[in-house]
Amino acid sequence: MLKILAFTYGLIGILPIFVSDSSIMMRILTMILIWSVVASCWDLIMGYAGIFSFGQVAFYVIGAYSSAILSVSLNVPPMIAIFMAGVITAIIGVLVGIPCLKLAGPYIALVTFAFHMALEPFLKGPLGKAIGSGGSRGIISVPPIEIFGISFSSSELVPFFYLALVMTLVCSVIIVLILKSHWGTAFLALKDSEDFAASLGVSAFKYKLLVFGVTSFITGLFGALYVHYVGILSTRMLSMEVFTVLLIMIVVGGIGQYPGVVLGAVVTVTMNELLRPTGMYRLLIMGGMVVVVVLLLPDGVMGLFKKFTFSRFSGKQKQEKQAQ
Amino acid sequence: MLIEIIDVMISGLLNGSVYALMAIGLALVYGVTKAFNFAYGSLYTMGGYFAWVFLVPLNLPGGYYTVFLTAIPFLFVVGFFLEKFLVAPLRKRSDWEMKAMMLTLGLALFLDIGYIAIFGPRLKSLPDIVEGTLAIGPLVFMKQDLVIFVLSITGLLCFAWLLNNTRVGMAVQAVAQNPAGAQIVGIPKERVFAATFAISTIMVGIGGILLSQKNFVNPQASTGIMIKAWVITAFGGMGSIKGSLYAALIIGMLEAFVGYYLGMIHIDIAVLTVLLITLAFRPQGLMGRE
Repeated sequence: MLKILAFTYGLIGILPIFVSDSSIMMRILTMILIWSVVASCWDLIMGYAGIFSFGQVAFYVIGAYSSAILSVSLNVPPMIAIFMAGVITAIIGVLVGIPCLKLAGPYIALVTFAFHMALEPFLKGPLGKAIGSGGSRGIISVPPIEIFGISFSSSELVPFFYLALVMTLVCSVIIVLILKSHWGTAFLALKDSEDFAASLGVSAFKYKLLVFGVTSFITGLFGALYVHYVGILSTRMLSMEVFTVLLIMIVVGGIGQYPGVVLGAVVTVTMNELLRPTGMYRLLIMGGMVVVVVLLLPDGVMGLFKKFTFSRFSGKQKQEKQAQ
Repeated sequence: MLIEIIDVMISGLLNGSVYALMAIGLALVYGVTKAFNFAYGSLYTMGGYFAWVFLVPLNLPGGYYTVFLTAIPFLFVVGFFLEKFLVAPLRKRSDWEMKAMMLTLGLALFLDIGYIAIFGPRLKSLPDIVEGTLAIGPLVFMKQDLVIFVLSITGLLCFAWLLNNTRVGMAVQAVAQNPAGAQIVGIPKERVFAATFAISTIMVGIGGILLSQKNFVNPQASTGIMIKAWVITAFGGMGSIKGSLYAALIIGMLEAFVGYYLGMIHIDIAVLTVLLITLAFRPQGLMGRE
């Protein structure tokens, strides 16, 4: 797990040395970093904790909006606003999580997706305007991040890329630590048999609420990072397009196959940029791709990878199973 | 004031009856196959486009009669093969519920963008099914509304008859109650799954033909319709057909009143609030079983 992760991020980290002149390449690389973490959080909550949460994009947008509102309306320095946005998103995530976790699987999908759908009219309506969302016009001129007088904006791509890389690495380490710790084991136990795990004293509610909190914190953090990078924000971020792109990352990478989703992000963001000249057929291709990949690659790229590298091992396992 | 309230109630009842048709299709498909169909709204739009192609560019004789007679077999075939080729292969896997959600979500985007690619981004309006109005005392009804209401209720009754009095309906009920048991007594489970999917596609497609007369055929509205159908199904109790009927009427009314008195923009928020409150106190929905 760690090898693939280190290799991927290492390669992405070295690439700017060669392509720092090309602004398109730098933008793609930065977006890969941001999306890979957001998609990893989704994988953590859906693939590992087994919660059908479809509110990931909503949390991302909440993070972006809270940071933008804090820094524009209240003049909070962006660096502090980002962390406050993370905390706000985590609080909202837990608030959404509490009613959700009492429900059965498909209900959670429904409530979180309806939450996503209700966010857009909320931000565009009078309630959203009252807290400073700017209505359907959105927020223009979000200030860039500044640390010790160095500004990280969309005009200086390389410094921002490395800032994003540092944050990505920190968050990835947190995710890996969660998966390796007793949390990860608890998730596996809950996913296999919730009743049996509960009888052994694993509290489903506590662990699932914790994962809701942690993933929405990280997601909100990256939403905020993104908004200070691009400088503008509107409710278009809540469109089905963004949602599907995120969905493809996790489908291509493989659900519940952790570093897979990072590879998925690399593939998807690159493909999304390459397909841009095809206009609206891009979304047609992306939608069709979800269908095809789900049908043909059950565990995504990671499944394919494991099939080739561990084929001897799995063969042995099969024999053992047959012997039993 | 009173007339106003009655008008709003009528529009709520009208929407509610069509929602009932769609939500019951969804309750059926979820109750029997346990597949979470995110492409349901796109099938609604498909019904709308189907009627538009027949009525406006082709202008076939017979008007809506031809549309309904051809739409039902067409939608049946679409639904049947959708299940057969896209959902059925997933069923063997352990986490197929999640995979089915993702696949249908991708399919929804594919279909919605596909409609725009084929028919262009402009909204299409369908001709009214009947023209004119009907006045009873101080109340004025549009004949079109009455016909839509009657047709959706007829659709519901046909569905009830199909489910309770035919061999197919009984097979569907048997599979819903106990899939393994149904298979043991020789009911072809796979075919029942596909047939259920096809029936629900017909119901939502007909709902699309009926409601698109009032709201335009709009590929961007698919997601909203899908969410609405799911909210109603969850509100009524997943897989409970009677619950969905009541829930559809309640949501239809709620929408009409919130839309009229508070503004259209608050509809989604109000519906979500009602859903959350219901689920907080009754996680199984209004009439669902544990």
